This record gives sequence, structure tokens and C-alpha cells, in this order.
Amino acid sequence: MKIVTSVLKSLVLVTALFSFSITAAFAQSAEEGEKLYNANCTSCHAINEKVVGPALKNVHTKRKEAWLLKWIKNSQALIKSGDADAVAIYKENNESVMTSFENLSDNQIKSIIAFIKKESEAPLQASVVPTGTSSSNTTTTDSISAEVSGTLKTSINWLVIIIMLLLIMVIVLVLDILAKVGEIQGKPVINWNGINAKLMLAFGSIGILASAWEIWEHGKLTVFNQTPASTHGAEYDNMFMITLIITGIVFFITQGLLFWYAYKYKHSSKRRALFYPDNHKIELIWTVIPAIVLTILVVRGLKTWTEMTGEKDPKSRIVEVYGYQFAWNARYAGDDNILGKHDFRQIGVMNALGVDTNDLKAQDDIVTNELHLGVGEPVLLKFRAKDVIHSAYLPHFRVQMNVVPGLPTQFGFTPSLTTAEMRQKLNNPKFDYVILCNKICGGAHYRMKMKVVVHTKEEFKQWLAQQPRLVNKSTPNAQATAQVETSTKTKVAN
Amino acid sequence: MSTHTANTDGTNHDAHDHGHHHETFISKYVFSMDHKMIAKQFLITGIIMGVIGMMMSLIFRLQLAYPDMKFPFLESVIGQWGKDGKLDPNFYLALITIHGTIMVFYVLTAGLSGTFSNLLIPLQVGARDMASPFMNMLSYWFFFLSSIVLLSSLFVDGGPASAGWTVYPPLSALPKAIPGSGTGMTLWLVAIILFIASALLGGINYITTVLNMRTKGMKMTRMPLTIWAFFITAVLGLLSFPVLLGAGLLLIFDRSFGTSFYLNEIVAELAGGIERVGGSPVLYQHLFWFLGHPEVYIILLPALGITSEVIATNSRKPIFGYRAMIGSILAIAFLSFIVWGHHMFITGMNPFLGSVFMLGTLIIAVPSAVKTFNYLATLWKGNLHLTPAMMFAIGLVSFFISGGLTGIYLGNAALDINLHDTYFVVAHFHLVMGSAAIFGMLSGIYHWFPRMFGRMMNNTLGYIHFWLTLISAYCVFFPMHFMGLAGVPRRYYANTAYDQFNVFVDMNQFVTIAAIIGGAAQLLFLINFFGSIFKGKRAPQNPWNSNTLEWTAPVKHIHGNWPGDIPYVYRWPYDYSKPGSELDFIPQNIPDADQTDPLDEPKPVHFDLKNTTMPLVENKEA
Repeated sequence: MKIVTSVLKSLVLVTALFSFSITAAFAQSAEEGEKLYNANCTSCHAINEKVVGPALKNVHTKRKEAWLLKWIKNSQALIKSGDADAVAIYKENNESVMTSFENLSDNQIKSIIAFIKKESEAPLQASVVPTGTSSSNTTTTDSISAEVSGTLKTSINWLVIIIMLLLIMVIVLVLDILAKVGEIQGKPVINWNGINAKLMLAFGSIGILASAWEIWEHGKLTVFNQTPASTHGAEYDNMFMITLIITGIVFFITQGLLFWYAYKYKHSSKRRALFYPDNHKIELIWTVIPAIVLTILVVRGLKTWTEMTGEKDPKSRIVEVYGYQFAWNARYAGDDNILGKHDFRQIGVMNALGVDTNDLKAQDDIVTNELHLGVGEPVLLKFRAKDVIHSAYLPHFRVQMNVVPGLPTQFGFTPSLTTAEMRQKLNNPKFDYVILCNKICGGAHYRMKMKVVVHTKEEFKQWLAQQPRLVNKSTPNAQATAQVETSTKTKVAN
Repeated sequence: MSTHTANTDGTNHDAHDHGHHHETFISKYVFSMDHKMIAKQFLITGIIMGVIGMMMSLIFRLQLAYPDMKFPFLESVIGQWGKDGKLDPNFYLALITIHGTIMVFYVLTAGLSGTFSNLLIPLQVGARDMASPFMNMLSYWFFFLSSIVLLSSLFVDGGPASAGWTVYPPLSALPKAIPGSGTGMTLWLVAIILFIASALLGGINYITTVLNMRTKGMKMTRMPLTIWAFFITAVLGLLSFPVLLGAGLLLIFDRSFGTSFYLNEIVAELAGGIERVGGSPVLYQHLFWFLGHPEVYIILLPALGITSEVIATNSRKPIFGYRAMIGSILAIAFLSFIVWGHHMFITGMNPFLGSVFMLGTLIIAVPSAVKTFNYLATLWKGNLHLTPAMMFAIGLVSFFISGGLTGIYLGNAALDINLHDTYFVVAHFHLVMGSAAIFGMLSGIYHWFPRMFGRMMNNTLGYIHFWLTLISAYCVFFPMHFMGLAGVPRRYYANTAYDQFNVFVDMNQFVTIAAIIGGAAQLLFLINFFGSIFKGKRAPQNPWNSNTLEWTAPVKHIHGNWPGDIPYVYRWPYDYSKPGSELDFIPQNIPDADQTDPLDEPKPVHFDLKNTTMPLVENKEA
């Protein structure tokens, strides 16, 4: 399969002429188009709604095919040439630059257009984009009912806001009148000292209860309530829990004392404050105790840190994760477990990732749009970026590393739960691991993701064997897979 | 301790001159060189910037809570960026960037430190004005110019800077990378350079004034903790802002002159036709955070200084552990320079380096803990006057605890791996740096408003403002921790592309509603603030029965601060409820019965804990 360099950001469009031939060939091309569309276009586009780029519905009727080809391959060149439509679209979209797709062939672009045409003509159904308004923990809600409850909820929310604001105004007015009455009578009507002190107590106790409740209730929604999907994750979660317990104790004690004192020692004209400026012994105690507690946390933290970042298993499978605005690719090192050379000048010229196909070590590399891993198999992710800094974040694996242009970084870990096992644990058949982009990188940053699949060892071997090599010498088969093993072993032996 | 005597005579002369000087509107209100007027200028500009910054946050909070809804009013407010009532994703990034920049630099650095350092340093150390009133005036006008440049970037083609307030290259260095990296980014850099000029002019002045212009008897160990905080803050700024200036200049070179300080392996097509190799994007992060981390304390220390003063005054108790408080300020300041790397644990730095930064970072928790415990000890057995200023100070301590504790997670390199750049970080710094510092600033405003404007603010409005702000701030930021722990990244325009984040739809709406209520509560403050300037009750000279020198100056502002001689100082500022004294406060300028030389220490009193129930004399105010 050809990989595509960048995201389709565009205003795709098609020609009326195109719709003449609806043939079997067309159906086939729409199918290929769907794959290409999902891999390249969805970061920035949807069919029916504007995302970062405009909605693509019916673009095939709005623009000529020749124009679309030019635009998708290099929209900036088209804009510079002074094409009126191109300039208008550029302006309309606040001058965001659409990624160029010069490595897509004409036929591939045509198949994407065919797919868009098919989608445009399909009756409007529940859209692929998850509705953001579903309110329960279930991820699948019928989109129509979700929408209804969404609107309902929203109007209630707004009503609540308006009522609260009115309430505040009324309270302010009443208090103001009471204060004036107090002035006239020469004695304040409201004893603010007492009220504020009681409110301090109330806030302190309700606040502490509420935060305990929230830690309990919302703690369940966090990844720490799920088994980590990597071997070092257990160590990580352990460190997290120790910190949570220690800081939790300090939190409740200090906040409790703060608001209790604010209540207990409220002003009274019968009492005088205690003149108590200093006590070296007490201060020594509360310097030394935090120091000891922190020493424990530091020592434990350093241990975890060293374990997570230390020497990696030399048998680790090497996979390059390549990030660009606004998508990811994975490149497997292939049978030799050595990544072929790459050159940033060749990106999009020789191939999408700029891998030097003349390098023998590169020829067996495998480039994919999803990251597949084998459970229990150590993997060393090597990160590379094309344009700006991205960050590869895999929360379920407790893994994150910045992806910096011109500065190689890496992170090694061992997946410990397959996708299927995790789905079962979470009781969510639709769950998928994901790499998120976690460093601001542009308009479609929030959609820049790659699916991660963890297989059993056998499934993974099969999957890998089915993937085409960068330079396709022969059909991949089981023998090739066997080679991976031998060559890895040889390497280790060396 | 030998410098204090020199200034008294010379500045007396000055004061005499100024007293009879005819002032025009321009010299009094616009190009004023009087530190009290400059403080007001900083404050009001800061408040205006704060309102703008908060409005921006409400717009993007709406987007986060209702990603699928259309708000037609947006189009009339932000025009093309809100077409059909949908916020443009690129403009969302612009909003968070400018919100961060405004809040960090313009409100919490200039608005907080600029206001109170200017107002209080000369008044509390007993000086006629700043060491260089002219530089002080320049400092404000550079700040003003910087604000104008930043705000004007909202109106340029492509929108304002959108690379996050930290503007990491290459995103900020490649003008074509995103719309906001064009003219808007250039203007951002110009604004920051002007801002740095302002901060440096102010900082030099604060340091010089504190070191050289203290009145007789104002030893370093008799300075109020506010002054200690402002002084150390100015030192931090002076040492760290120039590094940001350097970082900014190199970024300008990379953007406009084809250099590659921060760029490596960028093809010509992306970089304005010149291939860029040999630089390092991470270099920028090192330079930025070398300022960026001390900046956190540039924001926080003045707020802590204000809190120390307000809590001691309103508890009617000396601050507990005065010397330990100074020690912890110094320790925090020193440590803040060697921990910047904790913002960069996952940039791929050498793990050993990560360990060093982690060690330094967690040590900061020790002086911070000492400060917290000392505040608690000051409240203990106090006689608390719950004025709005006092309540905001208590609120600060609460936020300082909540936000400080989550710092222990983030400072731990190992834990940072999964928490970095998530909502956990957003929650952490909005509590410890955002809310805490804003509460310090509000506390200072309520406390020193009578000193600034000669009138009192309305207490009732102040109480309501406090409670609404405290509750809404916690409702906004506390739930964010849990989103972060679930892996929700910050700076996302919407979470709709990820099924696993759907569980937070309700929480996002809750947070937005709390933010709107919190925003509305600030209207009460604005009404109170601007209303009281004109209609507040006339303030007495010393409304809070405070010990510090600023309350010995007349209510009406005069050039030179004191009509006659500058008062001498005979004691530390925290003689509240001192045994043997009839009143529960003894201002710093009052000598003990047999104390003739200000440099002598007053007789120590013997106090013990059993003393508390002794019959007490009422002070007049109570």
C-alpha cells in the first residue's frame, strides 16, 4: 500500500462529468477511496460538517476534477497561481494551509472523490462523528435521542445560570438595604463576622466531603481505575497511589485546620489574640517531617523513573512513530529489526516518510497507518516529526514522549494486555487503544490520533506478515515472518 | 545597615519642592512619576487586561462544554472566527494562547507585582518615592505599549499568536505552520520584548529602593514580609527576564532572517524557502523555562507576601516564624532557578538530568510546607477580623495547599510521563498560580484600597464576591484533575474524536457553568471597585489598625508621602496583641518607653501559652 504524506485538508470537489460512469470499477474505487479517505482526510474533514477544513459533501459537483487534483496535490501552488476559486477558499478558511498530497496518484485521488460522491448521495444517517452530547457512561447512544436530551439539558443549564444570576442580584440588593437599615439604627443588622465564620466552617466541611466524594466517584473514570496495559504500568500506578495517599492525608488535615481555625478564632471583643511570634522547636519539626516524607517520595520516584527510562531490552522490536500535521504513521524495522536510513529532504519526494529505498536495510521496512503490537513483546518506539513538535501520548500504557523535528527520541515498553482483553475488562466492545497528539500543533491537533492494536503474539506475527514491505520484492509469507525471528536472534547473539 | 541615614535630609528637600509644584492633568494622571499614581495605573490596566483574559476563557469554555452547539452571538463578537456561531479551531488556539499570555504576564506579573511593589515599597520602607521616578514612569508606559501591541494582534490577518503561551518553535518559528504563526506571532514577540523592558525597569527600581532608601531604623530584619517578597521577586525578574529576551530575539531571527537556532531538519518549503538544519527546538524550551519557572514565583511570591501581611494584621497576631518566612522565600527563590527542567521531562532529555530536576523540584515542597504551616500557626488562637481582604488571604492559603500538593505529582519525573500536558496540569497551575495569585491580588486590593483611593470598599459586596469566587474557582478547577488522570489532553478544541472521553461531557458543562458564575461574580467586584473610587465611605488613616508605615502617611496623597520628616522605625512590623500594651497593635514608628536610638531593639517580652486568658483591654475599634 502507498502511504500518504499528509492530511487532506481541503475542499474537495468533483466534476459533474465524473458521474457519468457508475460501474463496477467505480464501486471498487470508492472502496479504495474510503481507506485512503480515512487515512488521510479525517483529521481535518468530515462529509457533512465543517471541521478544520470545510465539509466535503457534494464537492464533486462544486469543482472540476482537474481543479481538485491540482488543489489536493498542492493547494498553495494553485493559490499562488492566482486561481480565483482557490484564493477564495483559502481566505474563507482563515488562511489555514492545507497539507499537500503530492505523493497521491491521480487515480488514488479520484477514488477518494468517488468515495465522497458515494457518501454525499447516501441518505443522511447517524454521522460517524461521535455525538458529544450523550450524557451517560455508555458510549453508544442513539444519536437522535442524544440530541434531544442534549438540547433539553442545555436549556435547563442556561435556565439554572439565569436563575442563579437573578438570585445573586436579589441577595445583593437585600443585603444592601439591610446594611443601610443598620447604618440608620446605628447597629448592624447582619452579624457578618458570625456568618462568615460559619460559612468558613461549612465550606471547609462540605468541601472536604465533596472532594472525598469526587476522588471516589470520578476516580473511577480515570486510567488509574483500569489495569495498566504495559508491564511498567504497575510500578507507575503504585508510585501514583503512594503519592495520592500521602498528599491526600496532608490535604485533608491542612484544609481542615485552615477552615476550622477561620471559624474557631473569629473575632470576639472578649478575647485577645495570643502573642506567639516564634518557636524554633515547632518549626524544626515541621521542616524536618516534610523533608523526610519528600525523601521517601524522591527515592521511590527515582526508582520508578530509572525503571521506566533505563536500559531497554536489546531484543525489543523497533518501530518508528512518525508524526506530522495532523496524523501519525508507524514504520516497522522489518526482518532485520534495523530501520533504514531516512532523509528529511526526501519526505514526499521519494516516499511519504522520506525513507531511502536504496538503503538495503530500508527495503524490508513496513509502513502502516495503525500501530500494531504483540502482547508481552518489548517494543522500542523511535519518534520522528516532520514539521513541528508533537507528543505521542498512550495513556493506557503510561507512555508519553515528545516527537521533535530533528531530534530523535524514544520510549521502550512491553504491552501486557491485548485489545481484546482490555475490551473485556472495561466491558466495552468498542474500546481501542490510541496514540493521541499531546503537544499543540495546529487547528486539527485535537483530531490527530492513531489507532493502537495489541494482538496476541501469533496474531501479531500474522498481521505483520500480511503487510507489504517498502520495496516489494516478493509476496510476504510465513517464511518472511520466520526470518524476523531468526534475524532478531542473530542480532541478539551478536 | 549603614545606608539609611543618608536619604532622610535629601529627600525631605525634594518633598518640600514637590509640595508646591503646580501639576497639570497630564503630569498628574498620565505621565506621572509619583509611585502611588503609577501603582494605580498598573492596577487599572491590569484589571482591564484581566477582564479581557477572562472573557476569552469564557468563550473557549463554551466551546469545550457544548462542542456541537452553535452560538450565533459569537459571530457578532469575533466575526469571521465564529462563522455560523461555531468557534474556528484555529481561533480556539489563539484564544487559549492570548488568555495565557494576558493572565501570566499582564495581570499576574505587571498587574500584581507592578501595582503593589509600586504602592508599598516606598510607603512601607519609609521613602519619599522610588529611587528613579522617571524609570518608574517608563516602566508603566512600556507595559502600556506592550498591552496595546498584544491586543492589536487580535486584529491582524491570520489572527494572534496561536502556539500556546509558551510559543514553542517550530510551530511559532515557521510562519506558514498555522495561521497564527504569521503577523500575530511577530506582534506577540514584540509585545513580550516591550514587556520585558518594563519588567526590568521596574525591577531595578524596586531593588534599589529597598536596598538604599529605607528610613532610619528599617533594618532588613524589620521589613514587612510584603517588602521581602517584592524585593526577592524583583531579583528573580532581573535575573530571568533577560534570558527570555534572548530567547525571543533568537526566535525573531529564526522567523524573519533565515537562521536555525531552534530549527533542525526542516525542509525549505516549510521554512520560507531556506532549508534549516543544525539548531534544536529544545534549546528554546530550556531558555524559555529558565524564565518560565522563576516566573511562577514572580507571580506567587508577591501574593504570598500580601497574604502574610493581611493575615498577621487581621489575626491581630504576629506572623509566626518571621525569620523562617524570610528563609523560605529565599529558599524558594534560589531553588526556582535550578528546576526549570521539570517542564521538559518528556522532551527526551537524559534520564539522569531528569533525576536532578526532579530532586530540586520536590525540595521546593519543604519551604512551601513551612510557609503553609506558619500561616496556620498565625491563625491559631488569633482574633480574626474576617474582612474581605482576610478572607481572600485565607482562600489563597487553601488554593496554595490544593495546587501545591498536585505539584508533588508533576514534579515527580516518573509520574509526569502520564500527566504531562493533560488537564491535571491545567488544574494544578490554575489553582496554585492562577487562583492563588488572583486571590492574593484581590486580598491586596481590598486591604490597600483605602490607602490607594482614600475611600473604603463595600464590605457586603466584598463578602459575596469572595464566596462566589472561592466556590466557583474550586468547581471549575477541581474536577479538571480527574479529566487529566483519565488522559484528556489540554489545548484540545473538542474531545469528540475520542469515545473514551465521552464520560466527561457532563463535567465539562458543569465546569463551564461554574466559570460563568465565577465570571459574573467578578462584575460585583468591578462595580464595588469603580463605585467605591467615587462613592465609597471616606477612609480613616489606619482602617485596619495596622503596624506598617504606609498607614502613618496622611490619607490624601502628597508627593513625598509624609508632610514632615519621614518617620523612624523602632520595631518590627508584627507587634500585634503584645503583652503589656494597651492597644492590640504598636505601629513601627512608636518607640518603646526607654528606646531612644531606632537601631536599638525594643525590650523582648516574655510570653507563654498560659498567658492567653489574662484580662484584656479593649481597643477602641472593637
